[in-house]
Amino acid sequence: MPRLIGVDIPPQKRLEIALTYIYGIGRDTARKICDSTGLDRAMRSRDLNEDQIAMLATYIQKAYPVEGQLRRQVAANINRLREIGCYRGMRHRRGLPVRGQRTRTNARTRKGPRKTVAGKKSVKGMK
Amino acid sequence: MSRSLKKGPYVDAKLLKKVAAQIKTGKRDPITTWSRSSTVTPDFVGLTFLVHNGRHHYKVFITEDMVGHKLGEFAATRVFKGHTNKKEADKAAPARS
Repeated sequence: MPRLIGVDIPPQKRLEIALTYIYGIGRDTARKICDSTGLDRAMRSRDLNEDQIAMLATYIQKAYPVEGQLRRQVAANINRLREIGCYRGMRHRRGLPVRGQRTRTNARTRKGPRKTVAGKKSVKGMK
Repeated sequence: MSRSLKKGPYVDAKLLKKVAAQIKTGKRDPITTWSRSSTVTPDFVGLTFLVHNGRHHYKVFITEDMVGHKLGEFAATRVFKGHTNKKEADKAAPARS
């Protein structure tokens, strides 16, 4: 089982798919990586030899922010928004949707499980 | 859709004039403004603005991180103080039922 960039162990899948198991690499990026390193997209990742793995790892880390580095970058961006006291930062702090979605209904991804409030009218009742 | 780069960032002309004057004199009085849609440019760093939120002028001190945002993003137009507790609501409006 090949190991790439720390913990990622992509299985017996096509290389272009196996690479997407790395945080920060999707289908498109995976394809670009295959092409620019000259590896066959269709080859199975178990068929990679040591040199190819090393080469892939150095290439990916040089060209793209992935895994921990990317996670830190994202967290830092959100933290910046929180600290400057802007509207988007407020929404992050409150755990509400940031991009102007409705919150009267839905928005459960951000708000988490429903907290039922006694006496609150149902959506049907509000109309 | 984002604004065309060709045009550059939008900053209210009057506001830009006030900022330029402050930079020149080195004075640091808060600048009162209604121009919420003006972008914060690097020139603004270190200045204080009083940004209108529809009711009051809200004090905003510009730091480096704020560059590229609009002034209005820093002066909330809605103040949410939480939902009313049922008991408190009954006390506040007892004669309804």
